Amino acid sequence: MNIELSEEAAEFGRLGLQALEAAGGDELVRLAEQEPARRESLVAPVLGELGAWELDPRGDAGELEAAAALCRSAGYWAAPYPVAERLSRPADLDVDGLVVVAGSAPAAAVADLDLRWAAVTVNGCRSLAVPRPPVAPPRASAFVTGLDLEPVDGDGAQDAALGLVLPCWTLLGMLDRAIDLTRSHVLVREQFGQSLAAFQGVQFQLADAEVERSGIEVLARYALWSIQAGNAEALDDALALRLAAVEAAETVFRAAHQLHGAMGFCDEAPLSWLSRYSQPLRRLPLGRSATLDQLTDRLGRRGLTGLFSDPLGTNSLSAAS
Amino acid sequence: MGEAAAALRAELRGLVAGHVPADFLGAFTDDPADLEVAQRFCRLLAGRGLLCLAWPEEFGGRGASAWEQTVVREEMWAHHEPRGAQYMGVNWVGPAIMRHGTAEQRRVHLPPIARGEVTWCQGFSEPDAGSDLASLRTAARRVGDGWRVSGQKIWTSYATMAQWCFLLARTSRGEKKQHGITVFLVPMSARGIEVRPIRSMMGPHHLNEVFFDELRVSEADVLGRVDEGWRVVQEVLAYERVGIARYARCERLLLAAPPALGGQWEVLRAELRGRWARMLVHCRRARLLAYRVVSLQSVGRVTPSDSAAYRIAVTRLDQDSAEVLMEIVAFASPNGGEQARRFHSEVEDHWRYSQASTVASGSIEMQRILLARALLATGERR
Repeated sequence: MNIELSEEAAEFGRLGLQALEAAGGDELVRLAEQEPARRESLVAPVLGELGAWELDPRGDAGELEAAAALCRSAGYWAAPYPVAERLSRPADLDVDGLVVVAGSAPAAAVADLDLRWAAVTVNGCRSLAVPRPPVAPPRASAFVTGLDLEPVDGDGAQDAALGLVLPCWTLLGMLDRAIDLTRSHVLVREQFGQSLAAFQGVQFQLADAEVERSGIEVLARYALWSIQAGNAEALDDALALRLAAVEAAETVFRAAHQLHGAMGFCDEAPLSWLSRYSQPLRRLPLGRSATLDQLTDRLGRRGLTGLFSDPLGTNSLSAAS
Repeated sequence: MGEAAAALRAELRGLVAGHVPADFLGAFTDDPADLEVAQRFCRLLAGRGLLCLAWPEEFGGRGASAWEQTVVREEMWAHHEPRGAQYMGVNWVGPAIMRHGTAEQRRVHLPPIARGEVTWCQGFSEPDAGSDLASLRTAARRVGDGWRVSGQKIWTSYATMAQWCFLLARTSRGEKKQHGITVFLVPMSARGIEVRPIRSMMGPHHLNEVFFDELRVSEADVLGRVDEGWRVVQEVLAYERVGIARYARCERLLLAAPPALGGQWEVLRAELRGRWARMLVHCRRARLLAYRVVSLQSVGRVTPSDSAAYRIAVTRLDQDSAEVLMEIVAFASPNGGEQARRFHSEVEDHWRYSQASTVASGSIEMQRILLARALLATGERR
């Protein structure tokens, strides 16, 4: 595995970032919240022009990396569209996307879209999923709605791994943005005659948040590689990533809100939107506790694959290009 | 990492299994036999060309890749560093002498380091110069064509057993405190040096005070240029960017917990097993952050913030994993078999050492400041 994404994938991600910015950037989620019916038209054509919906993440390792990079860019702008979920779609079912669901109360942030969905549990049970009409407006629900499931089969272990990993890339993009916004704020906001950035207490919070963010960057890359390599432990690796990602999100968003002060809660602050729309990614299909339970159960006595596991972990890292 | 690294890992594990006792907890215990184990092991590694693997061939090394060096770091630390104190000579004293030393200094110092025969100590920290190292006050006063050094160092590891000291002393006072510091390579047997051990929870040999009283040094003892030692120090610290592969010992101990507990593992509280699983995730995170630094270093693109993020993650892992492991062994029966007894002893040792991990080699506060300043200055992220 190369510890960095390929340059082609990174470039695709940059193009996605620019295209979404040109299409409205921070305004996209505000517009979608005002008019939920515009969810599809605000984002899907923009990414469609880049060829996002022709990507084959399951069939081509390079395109999987491109898909991950695009999810990250979508997260950066809190794009109000299930990009990761659409890119996770299974090839053998006639659907537009895939969501991972918990066994009880299946739900996903797929309201107000005219799309056909498959669902998979962490245990690999696949279903066709029909979103129920939303019971709350997006301001409160962040587009989450319940799903009615019609069981299909139990062949979805790989689906579950991909369906867990790509949304973590979206969340990573949100963490990127939360740190960027916080950095900008503490550099310009002055108190006691100096910028907030000059205070060591502020620097420490920012540093701790950045450690969490950068940890997700490398774990996300590892989990993606594990899928690419067809590893039997890909689902363990996906759950390990998810656990770290939801924990990191707590640290990063808490620091971001704290350092923004009251400004961070205001609708005029992008952090407020980013924070609210990160919720579905952090709570569904499994929150922090449930993810840890699943991971612990799966690991049993053997633990995660690594330097001292049996079999040994990867020795195939190569230098950054 | 490739096949060469995997083969190296297997070779090192074979050597550890064959030449290091199963209950070895490092060279610096109260039992002198442990020091002898480390000294024999260093000679064994040196004889196979593994001690100075990373050194250029002209100095007796193999010019190994950054990844092979990583494997050595991981395997040695995971198994309680059976190279003993020699790792400092190999990791940074030798390279600093290669880069800044005279032909004579290279001739005198490099072969014994490469053979694993010499121990160095690091005369850096002082009572009033810890994280703020450039504030050091140990002074070298010009006398004739040499100097007389007087002052005090503290927290100096291995000073009781070291033959040589990599000593920082102030030779002049410039406008900036970083200017006027000189590196001296001094024999610990010289008159004017007194070592006083400090008993500590980390065992003997780790913490010492070293007093210098009119120690005579000459131009021949200066490494690099007079007054320009800070540049050498900065380079030395750069060698230590990745530092100790603490994650390797953490992972080995965490994975040793279920077999050590045997049937008791399944009756551990689910919450504690969850914390164990979480620590394994953090081990992987720290390892991957280390690999990123190595990867970027090998193509010359590493930034201080990359290594700081790793150092923060890995030192916290060290302490967090130690807490979880201590709780696990507390649950296990103290009358378990040999495997359980050894595991308990390793975990207890890990816990004590981990207390220093956020203090030693650049405190976590300094790493946080470094990381935050880099982020604030450039906004650059990978």
